[in-house]
Amino acid sequence: MNTIKKFINRRECTSIIFLIALYVIVGLINPTFIQSDNIMLCLNGATVYTICAIGMAFVIFTGEIDASIGATLGLSAAVVATMVRDGKPFTLTVLVAVCIGLVIGLINGFGVAVLKVPSIIMTIGINSIVRGISYVYTGGAWVENVPKNFKELSQQGIAGLSWMYIGTIIIMIAIYMFLAKTKRGRYFQAVGDNEDGATHLGLPVTGTHLISFVICAVCASLASVVFVSRIGFVTPTSGNGYEMKAIAACVIGGISLSGGIGNMVGATFGALIMASISRILVFLGFSSNYDNTITGILLITIVVFDAVMQHRNTEKARRERLSARTETVAESKVVGGNM
Amino acid sequence: MKEKLKKFYSKFKFHWEYFLVMFIIIEVIVFGTMNPKFLMPRVLFGSFNDFISICIIAVFMCFVFITGGIDLQAGSIVGLTSIVIGVLWKTLGISIGAACMIAIIIGCLCGALSGFFIAFTNVQPMVITLGGSFLYSGLAIAVSNMSNTAAYLGISGFPEYFTAFTKKRFFGVIPSQVLIFIALAVIAYIILHRTKYGREVFLCGINRRAAEFSGINTKLIVMSTYIFSGMAASFAGIVMTSYLGSSKSDFGSDLTMPIITAVILGGTSTLGGKGGVVGSALAAVVIGIMRFGLSMNGVSNQYLDIPVGAMLVIVVAASTASKNEKINAFMHRHLTFKHKLTDK
Repeated sequence: MNTIKKFINRRECTSIIFLIALYVIVGLINPTFIQSDNIMLCLNGATVYTICAIGMAFVIFTGEIDASIGATLGLSAAVVATMVRDGKPFTLTVLVAVCIGLVIGLINGFGVAVLKVPSIIMTIGINSIVRGISYVYTGGAWVENVPKNFKELSQQGIAGLSWMYIGTIIIMIAIYMFLAKTKRGRYFQAVGDNEDGATHLGLPVTGTHLISFVICAVCASLASVVFVSRIGFVTPTSGNGYEMKAIAACVIGGISLSGGIGNMVGATFGALIMASISRILVFLGFSSNYDNTITGILLITIVVFDAVMQHRNTEKARRERLSARTETVAESKVVGGNM
Repeated sequence: MKEKLKKFYSKFKFHWEYFLVMFIIIEVIVFGTMNPKFLMPRVLFGSFNDFISICIIAVFMCFVFITGGIDLQAGSIVGLTSIVIGVLWKTLGISIGAACMIAIIIGCLCGALSGFFIAFTNVQPMVITLGGSFLYSGLAIAVSNMSNTAAYLGISGFPEYFTAFTKKRFFGVIPSQVLIFIALAVIAYIILHRTKYGREVFLCGINRRAAEFSGINTKLIVMSTYIFSGMAASFAGIVMTSYLGSSKSDFGSDLTMPIITAVILGGTSTLGGKGGVVGSALAAVVIGIMRFGLSMNGVSNQYLDIPVGAMLVIVVAASTASKNEKINAFMHRHLTFKHKLTDK
């Protein structure tokens, strides 16, 4: 009983219950949806979102926001696709992608952590710059003809689940443990929860901000490798809107934008919900054009519900504290009277 | 005389708006020398047609920023307004004037919905307006499915008098859009800087709790700023539909970033409590002329994001760095000419 209560009190619980309910309801309407093949396809389709959301979660933990990962993903996807097309080795390609992420992350981090530019402005600016650079790089053309063996990387797997998704989940669990159990991992949420407090405790606040932006951008560029492998071509607008989708995934997964609250498991489930919506719409017989409408409604509903519940909880806690205090006061008065 | 100059200089220095005006003049001169065609009044004023929606929305969105919020949904409201006009006129056969009125009401309602959640549930404005941008752009697609034409074609064939009012040029030079923009900017200026309501908006941004204790209904004020922003977006949608002569659901989808850039470049703080209509309007013009001038000089449209983004980052980084004590101290120590100045 206690474990159930503990589970329900956790932040990611809402999104997990929501995901299960969603799958069950859609499964009742259209039973083909909950066949294992289709669920595996849903999971595989969530790989890019999941990686982006994990990166984004680091930044949101520290109380900042990164609106530049869409462009980062686009640029490094273009670079990866051209390199793979020209027959460069796989490891070199990944290395170059990571370097792109590293550079963009460092610029973002430098602006936000050192120069103290508000993160939303800094990353919006960098987003448009990087987007422009990717236009310059591709010359406005599509990058096509990605070799077949590279595309097959995302198809291979075990029992319909691709290695890439399994790898993502393993990395996610490792990051979850790192954030929950190690001292350095706790810094991220400590900084996001109370920046002044963290400074007074002697935590490396600037460094933590910087690292979170670097991790976020590197995650985006790693996601681009998966993106190229799954989609097989890159347009100049590839990755547009991924920043918003990643933020939405994090928020749906119970990560608070004010920083310090939430965890990686939530982000993963949030990403899964985001990726499943368009598929669910198709299975329910709607056009997948309504994808955005549903995403918007979902985002607003979950966030508002969460805020209202939180407000009620704090009110309740306050009232309990107040009544407890008045009781002790009354008791002490009685004791005093007897003496 | 010297004192007077000094006074003038100090007054001059602290007005960001003067800098923006100077920037516009420099832009016009630079682009004019690069391409003399740019200086023709007809071309110069005609360029406003390309970025009028950024100007209109930026002027009203600074209200939202002053209360400490952010609005990411204006771009999608532009598309929603545009497609609503098209569908109401073509499919339902409502007159174009009534369709515009309904579109403005819908824009206000969209703003009010998001504003309501932001003001009354204390969720971060960014999340709600992000969700709003998804929701309204999705609704726009849903509305466009109600018409019989394909979404990518859009609805066209509007009556002459509707498309003509944005193509009219006063004195043969100034497009009516410029006048619409100036009129809206003046209205916004009066609302924000000359009324009690405007002062309350500022107080909400500076210190919301203090505003509440002084008897201001902060929730309504915050909500109203989003309504203004949604209304401006629907004005922009109408102007855009009229000028382009067709209505599409994806109009304005790429406007969000330029609008935010314009508002911030105009000296409005994202933390709230600081900013103004004049700055936002001028900054929108700065961005618009820069985009237009570069594209006239042969820079491809897709590269225009680079200078605008760079401008945003550099301006904000410079202005925050100038307030940073450490950097100031460093400059003071290492730049000797500053010593000389202070010695005198």
